[in-house]
Amino acid sequence: MSDPNTHPPAHDQHLHNDEELHATSGNTKYWVVFVALCMLTLCSFLTYFEWWDTAIPPHVSMAFMMAVSCGKALLVMLFFMHLLWEANWKWVLTVPAGMMAIFLACMLIPDIGMRTEKYSQSRWLHAPVPHVHADDAAALDHAPAAH
Amino acid sequence: MSDSHSDDHHGHIQLEYHPALPLSLGKLCLWLFLSTEIMFFAGLIGAYVVLRFGAPTGSWPTPHDVYLSEPIGAFNTFVLICSSLSIVLSLEAARKNQSGSAKKWLLTTFVLGCVFLGVKAYEYKEKFAHGIFPTKEGRRLYDQPDVYYVSALKVRLENLKSELSDEQKEEEVLEGVTRVNFIDTMLTGGVAHAARTATNTENPIEAHAILESLAYAVQHHEVSDYQATRLRNEKSSIEGPLAKVEEDLKTKDARKTEISEKLKPPAEGEEGPSEEELRDMRVELGGLMQEVAKLEQDAKPLRERIAFLNLLLADDAHLLNHGIGHEMSSMKLPFVLPSGNMWASTYFLLTGFHALHVVVGLIIFALVLFSTLDARKSHYLENAGLYWHFVDLVWIFLFPLLYLF
Repeated sequence: MSDPNTHPPAHDQHLHNDEELHATSGNTKYWVVFVALCMLTLCSFLTYFEWWDTAIPPHVSMAFMMAVSCGKALLVMLFFMHLLWEANWKWVLTVPAGMMAIFLACMLIPDIGMRTEKYSQSRWLHAPVPHVHADDAAALDHAPAAH
Repeated sequence: MSDSHSDDHHGHIQLEYHPALPLSLGKLCLWLFLSTEIMFFAGLIGAYVVLRFGAPTGSWPTPHDVYLSEPIGAFNTFVLICSSLSIVLSLEAARKNQSGSAKKWLLTTFVLGCVFLGVKAYEYKEKFAHGIFPTKEGRRLYDQPDVYYVSALKVRLENLKSELSDEQKEEEVLEGVTRVNFIDTMLTGGVAHAARTATNTENPIEAHAILESLAYAVQHHEVSDYQATRLRNEKSSIEGPLAKVEEDLKTKDARKTEISEKLKPPAEGEEGPSEEELRDMRVELGGLMQEVAKLEQDAKPLRERIAFLNLLLADDAHLLNHGIGHEMSSMKLPFVLPSGNMWASTYFLLTGFHALHVVVGLIIFALVLFSTLDARKSHYLENAGLYWHFVDLVWIFLFPLLYLF
């Protein structure tokens, strides 16, 4: 671990101000953030219930869950990781990493995300078969029973 | 560095240190490490997302299919949120030189981390019990009901049969059906029948429907009346031809017996049939034996199929609707789960790496758990806390992706 005493006065001063800034409000803010995180988890867990599934379209539900997750992540980063009180260096380390993370995921889309668009007929033979619902299956199969 | 060299005294250059980033070296290193971790988990989570949404429509397992419990996942999320709060409170206490309080909160974080791992271990155990493993070896998952699946099912049933002790063979698994009889019936009327009819069927859709029906009987996504109706219709359509064959067999057997009696040497004093009649009867008997053998050959698969269908459809299709794999979980039968292998690989990779990070976090906490946690240790706790919050961040995204989507 680095020893704070090895830093020059200007640096120490900055750290001191930084720590002092968020120390003034005590621990209450952490408890408030904790309650907010619990509430948000409860919100995303609502999607577990059947009435939610019937009332909300799946894509809206997924977008909602991701929005809740992003909200929770922001709360953790800003308050628990103290980014709210940090100086501008936070952008230097988090923004490039965040952008790279997004690029990493996006780069997988053409080859992996859209892989089935390039499947040959023989490749489809080995692809997972979707769950067949009763109505679809009945429509498919009017052939006489096999024996 | 100072750019002013003009004011040097007696030729000495005055150097002035300007830190590039206004933060301690330890914290800088940790943030750089977290930057790489962001990209590491973004790659893993991104791969999961594109694999999941790129899978053929409707072919990705639901949490229910893979024995994931949403309440358990939500509980683990709550545990990690609590631990995030406790570590930040530990840091604040250490900054105020309240070592006892800091230690108490750190111990709480440590215990919560252990609870998280315990719950995760329980979840893994559930997966293993249902044949879902991190590696292909030992997995009982098949993406589709194809020839490989039928082959795996056959091998498993044959192994089960050979491993049965005499006592187990006679054990009653269904009303009036012993274990060995059940395996035999499933092997002949289920697996062998499906393989034979699917191979002989020219229509690939029908061939698939036959294998799908077998896979459904073993384990299925949701109960479908269609499969029960299909099998009932199949049973009705077989019963007619089988009854006809049985009737033919009965008639021919009766005639066979009659001829056999006539061919016996006559009792003393009685006159037997003439040589010509004997020859005709022998010819007829030979023909009858051939016909009976052929009829028996025709009747055998029909009887086996009917026996299997009777098992599945008995008691209002209880076994069919619940699935053989579910009703007789000890048999550990292979089952079809579309995209199940891909799901298992990504699930264990994501949660495994996350759990590994939790373990590392617990080690970091354990290293200072018995130290005096005053202001001098606050930098250590701050860095450990940053790492722990990152672990929490990853789980915040994993929870909805794995348990709720």
